[in-house]
Amino acid sequence: MDINQQLELKKEEILKKWFESAINSYPEDTAKFLKKSKNQFDNPVGSATLQSLENTFRDILEMKISKNYKYSQDIVEQNKIENALDPIIRIRAVQNFSASEAVAFVFELKNIVKSTIGKLNDQNSLEEFRGSSSNSVISSYELFEHKVDLVALAAFNRFMKCRENIFLLKATEAKRRIHSAFERAGLVTELNENELVGSSKS
Amino acid sequence: MSDELKPDQLLDKIDHTPSCGNWMDTPVHIRPGMYCYAAKAESVETLGLPNARPWNPTDDDWKLPENWKEIIHNAIKERLERFRTFKVFMDICVRCGACADKCHFFLGTGDPKNMPVLRAELLRSVYRNDFTKAAQILKMIPGGEKLSGGRPMTLDVLKEWWYYFFQCTECRRCSVFCPYGIDTAEITIMAREIFNLLGLNIDWIATPISNCYKTGNHLGIQPHAFKEMIEFFTDDIEEITGVNVEPQFNKKGADILFITPSGDVFADPGTYTCQGYLILFKYLKDKYGLDVTWSTYASEGGNFGFFTSHETMKRLNAKMYAEARRLGVKWILGGECGHMWRVIHQYMDTMNGPADFLEEPVNPITGTKFENAKSTKMVHITEFTADLIKHGKLELDKSRNANRIMTYHDSCNTSRGMGLLDEPRYVLQHVCDNFFEMPPNTIREQTFCCGSGSGLNAGENMELRMAGGLPRANAVKYVHEKFGVNTLGTICAIDRAALSTLMEYWVPGVTVSGIHELVGNALILPGEKERETDLRCDPLPGMEEEEDE
Repeated sequence: MDINQQLELKKEEILKKWFESAINSYPEDTAKFLKKSKNQFDNPVGSATLQSLENTFRDILEMKISKNYKYSQDIVEQNKIENALDPIIRIRAVQNFSASEAVAFVFELKNIVKSTIGKLNDQNSLEEFRGSSSNSVISSYELFEHKVDLVALAAFNRFMKCRENIFLLKATEAKRRIHSAFERAGLVTELNENELVGSSKS
Repeated sequence: MSDELKPDQLLDKIDHTPSCGNWMDTPVHIRPGMYCYAAKAESVETLGLPNARPWNPTDDDWKLPENWKEIIHNAIKERLERFRTFKVFMDICVRCGACADKCHFFLGTGDPKNMPVLRAELLRSVYRNDFTKAAQILKMIPGGEKLSGGRPMTLDVLKEWWYYFFQCTECRRCSVFCPYGIDTAEITIMAREIFNLLGLNIDWIATPISNCYKTGNHLGIQPHAFKEMIEFFTDDIEEITGVNVEPQFNKKGADILFITPSGDVFADPGTYTCQGYLILFKYLKDKYGLDVTWSTYASEGGNFGFFTSHETMKRLNAKMYAEARRLGVKWILGGECGHMWRVIHQYMDTMNGPADFLEEPVNPITGTKFENAKSTKMVHITEFTADLIKHGKLELDKSRNANRIMTYHDSCNTSRGMGLLDEPRYVLQHVCDNFFEMPPNTIREQTFCCGSGSGLNAGENMELRMAGGLPRANAVKYVHEKFGVNTLGTICAIDRAALSTLMEYWVPGVTVSGIHELVGNALILPGEKERETDLRCDPLPGMEEEEDE
């Protein structure tokens, strides 16, 4: 059985543990609630987290990896993963987490898979499982770890995009609200963006 | 009864692992992105409020008056005597937790101190310590202080209060679910009153109030600029419709005085709603001779005094009625605003009423008596427009809004604060064909706040606003993905500004619009030319190709 088949087999258990570990990054009283309520409108954080992890896990299973395992060559897969991660990262980017705390849940997946799939292979031990690869270049477990690393990079990308988005919103909100109305009324005389673009053309 | 647990089995079930700590022992960390800047000294001074000085919430020293503890103690005491509700709310909470997961700030930030029950407990713990007999007796026993759930007032407690009571938008969603009807917003209101006695307001509230006090509106716009702005809209409307809507200002003896939040006059996208009002008034003037005047003095419907103290709210509210008296109008029509209506509906009459120099509002075109406004003499414009539509008094071309796939956000103050639920929807459905409701647990009385109300719509607290607005955005995202909703309608000026930014972060592709912007698009003015664009100067549905040519 290759690792993808094993992950598929243990999907529910892995997802459950992954969800719990992500939710346990919240204070205890909050985590209790986030795990409990199933309604997506009463519990937007819990349900978006679960949905996002499910989609990410699905994408990990379907991921096509470049032959030489270069992170830089797997951009397409990274973009796909970024979309799957968006809901959970977008939420964590505005909550009380440092950057590392916000994306740490990705790395938890390695330990969860080790402990879950390790059990499947207890006759041969995890070490043997790691070595029992049909792949001649790296073992199937290492391939899985490579995929998780790609997810981590994607999470980092998305986290940065969300933070930049927040700062952009801060910077442009006041201008858009007040300045544009004043500008249309001719109450301010600065050049607007179109005029600046126009003058550079001429 | 065999499945009943035996005592030792029951004891086995008790989890003896210590919890990660009591909330009282978790110190407050004032995190950037979550708090608003401190009030400018000059704004506090204008209003004659105490302890005006520069200070910074992240500094250790808040430059408090020496006797600050005494001020707080006396302030609580005075308010317990003055407000029966406050006294009752301090005593009756049984901590059942029904409200815990109903707050948008708790749902979005995941911070347990944003559970309404715990936020209130921040203040209640000090109340218990200082004012209840039980706590005073328990204090005599070693360790008894904790048993009573009380704690003494300290600087850390004050900082915790400040941080969390400015993470409450006074939206009152929690109170809908409280079996005792405790209104947590009132507890926040009291806490903010106390902050103002120590000079601890935030600038996004203090400076607008100071502006309002000096020039009549939150933005500090002087009368001539206010007039110029509306005249500018008049030019814009003439370009689009070919009709000069001829607004009137400060006209003595007009039938109706119209007052709206200044955001409608100066902040996009409220400006398009403002143009909608102007088109409606022109239509009513031409068809039915209704005489509506704007005022350059009562140029603000909003009332940030409400987020400061009862007295400040009263001072700002009074000018609207003073202006109505000066102009000698029959009654006041109010624009699309949120907290302005809560102030009118719940406070005005006992604060500045009765407004017996005005007439009981009757729609002169339909004869409808606005019974709910009998005493305040102030009618909400969606009630007024809904009444006109109901009686077939408006000629509307819905097709001009055919590109809008709408949903409607109930503003907290108009829905929970005054029960205005169906009129805006009625108007929307008569000016627009495509309307889809968000899920029932997110609308009407259960509506989720925009996350920026009660003076928290600043820029520096963007993380707080985005987190607090998540439950609302989450429901909009659902109808956006399911029905292709592209426009979020609302009747609150703060919403129009705050939700626009919220949508950019959570649901790009949804724009925010006031209801009367859509009325303005649909209403057929007598003598108008064929319109090619809507009020935003975007091509009307079906006109896109001609535009391209």
